[in-house]
Amino acid sequence: MGRNVIRIKNVKKIYQMGKEKIQAVNGISLNIRQGEVCCLLGKSGSGKSTLLNLIAGLEKPSSGQIIFNKKHIERMNEDQLADFRQRYVGFVFQSYNLLPTLTAMENVTLPLIFKNVPLKERNERAMEMLTAVGLGDRAHHKPHEMSGGQQQRVSIARAFINSPQVVFADEPTGNLDTRTTYEMMDLITALASKNKQTLVIVTHDLELSDYADRIVMLSDGEVERIEDKRQAEGEKE
Amino acid sequence: MSTRDLLNMALRNLLKRKLRTFLTVLGVVIGTASIVVMVSIGIGMNESFARQLEDWGSLQVIDVYSPNGGGGHYMMEEEGSSGPQNKGKQVKLDGAAVDSFRQIAGVEAVSPIKSLYLMIGSGKLVADANFIGLDPATMEAMGYKIEDGRALSGEDVKAIVVGGGVEFYDPKLNWEMRMNSEPPEIELIGEKIDVTFDWGYGTRHADKSVKPFKFEVVGTMPADGNNGWSVIMPLKEVEKIEKAQKEWEKKSHGSSGGNNQKRSKEYEQVMVKVDDIKNVQVVQQQIKDMGYRASSLTDQLEAMKETTKMLRMVLGAIGAISLVVAAIGITNTMVMAIYERTREIGIMKVIGASLRDIKLLFLTEAAFIGFAGGIVGVGVSFVTSKLVNFVAMQHGSDMTSSIPLWLYLGSIAFATVIGVLSGYLPAKRAMKLSALTAIKTE
Ligand SMILES: Nc1ncnc2c1ncn2[C@@H]1O[C@H](COP(=O)(O)OP(=O)(O)O)[C@@H](O)[C@H]1O
Ligand SMILES: [Mg+2]
Repeated sequence: MGRNVIRIKNVKKIYQMGKEKIQAVNGISLNIRQGEVCCLLGKSGSGKSTLLNLIAGLEKPSSGQIIFNKKHIERMNEDQLADFRQRYVGFVFQSYNLLPTLTAMENVTLPLIFKNVPLKERNERAMEMLTAVGLGDRAHHKPHEMSGGQQQRVSIARAFINSPQVVFADEPTGNLDTRTTYEMMDLITALASKNKQTLVIVTHDLELSDYADRIVMLSDGEVERIEDKRQAEGEKE
Repeated sequence: MSTRDLLNMALRNLLKRKLRTFLTVLGVVIGTASIVVMVSIGIGMNESFARQLEDWGSLQVIDVYSPNGGGGHYMMEEEGSSGPQNKGKQVKLDGAAVDSFRQIAGVEAVSPIKSLYLMIGSGKLVADANFIGLDPATMEAMGYKIEDGRALSGEDVKAIVVGGGVEFYDPKLNWEMRMNSEPPEIELIGEKIDVTFDWGYGTRHADKSVKPFKFEVVGTMPADGNNGWSVIMPLKEVEKIEKAQKEWEKKSHGSSGGNNQKRSKEYEQVMVKVDDIKNVQVVQQQIKDMGYRASSLTDQLEAMKETTKMLRMVLGAIGAISLVVAAIGITNTMVMAIYERTREIGIMKVIGASLRDIKLLFLTEAAFIGFAGGIVGVGVSFVTSKLVNFVAMQHGSDMTSSIPLWLYLGSIAFATVIGVLSGYLPAKRAMKLSALTAIKTE
């Protein structure tokens, strides 16, 4: 596996709930390598989502550093973050987060619209992507006309359409049945490995960690253990 | 995001909530229409003043009087031509002055004026009238209205134009009989008529030694106009007749009448025609600064406009208030849209929309509402304006509504700007929404 795309240094996130302080992420240091499938595993409330959101620049850490391709995410302003997300990052959420009034095709092209890609090119790319996730025949359906699995496929197509360097997925299968869960995990890891894209998956499901190159086990906002399943390739740090 | 995508997306979002969009647009329609109609009534008012004044003469003509002495018989003279500022310097209203007026920028024509009260004889009938002598080449430019025939032109010498209000009568009848009989109808154009200073003309008191001057009538002026009771004649002819009159007076009365003769040739009045109403006040001021007295109908127009300024402002304010209400409607609609679309905004941000994209999207939607409302509002005002004019005509009212093109285009632009301004606050709010919180809201 390659170099480190993301370096996390002693990151903390403290939520202030009235008088009470919640240490959602409590001093985590971690490197994520280019092209790996990294799984953040832990019980509910262990701080997985918070960590993911910090890495993806959706939230600011209370302290610590998050360095993505030598750039400090925690120092970026809103404009820089928007640009960063547009260039390097794709997202898959548990609740799909599709725009209900747009068709599958339009949902998938949305990131390209913001990137100013011409109509013809973005429609071609969207169609390719939809075909890749097995929804070539559903391009003009609205989300409510599709099953949960199909909606998640659309959102996966949307996450990958921009060929991002890293795709973040927060419980991507949380709303799906077992069979669909495996289909989805097969799909998402296959897409990522095809272009050597990095995948960071948050889950509480131990079984899904089978797909991971590395498993980061979280507990109470701290890294409990890291399990490297590609030991053979060795760890440099 | 490209402009095309932006417009497309904004339009789709608006069409998603058809009824709400319609109602918001309706507010702008009412606002725009009321502002346009109110302003148009104000404009119509000013135009009707101008029309009323046009009956009194041309709005582009300035009457200039010598700073010393009387002259001028217009009622507005006292207020319009405040005395000369430079009392010490004696300026003369002579040929040199006429030339200097011609040099002023914006002046189209200049003519000295001399008036004389004379008798006209046509066949057995006579009439008395005020004769206005002017440079015949300028008559058309000076705005004299012609009813039949033509105005005087540069080549005319023994030609006159007679006002329709000049009443001919039989001099043999006494005053009482004249009042009770219908004024005779006569066709004047092409007639050769007599002009004389002998007041006994046509009666047995006529002075045989006075030879009448022969003129041909080339045109008539409307009876109800400013010059309805006047006769227009080339200036040179008026001067000839005046000279003859003076000589005759000297002969018959011995002395008298000579004191005017002492001065070098000076005019009582000079008319100055300006190329555009807009320049009249400027030219008039320049002439006043030269030391002359000057007045024009635009003085009246300005005064009339001034007296109705308050009314026009109130009308405009009524329109403005409805547009403000419409603007609040737009803001309200957009704020509601943000609440509804919080999640959507969050998703867009997460998948790569820039702050600018989000802001522009909301501004564009608000601008669309303003623009659509402006277009329809202008259409509604067009119809309303026609209706106002129709009703006003039915009631014989002077109140009319007039919408110039700039008002149409300006209103559409204004409504759009109002839309953008109303959308500014909501757009800013949408922009500031945290992507994460937005995405978490259900
Ligand atoms: N916005 C927030 N405000 C306050 N507390 C939060 C917020 N988000 C998460 N937390 C708290 O931080 C802890 C970690 O949450 P989270 O990262 O969502 O856990 P996980 O994704 O592992 O279930 C939890 O105790 C949660 O209640
Ligand atoms: Mg979570």
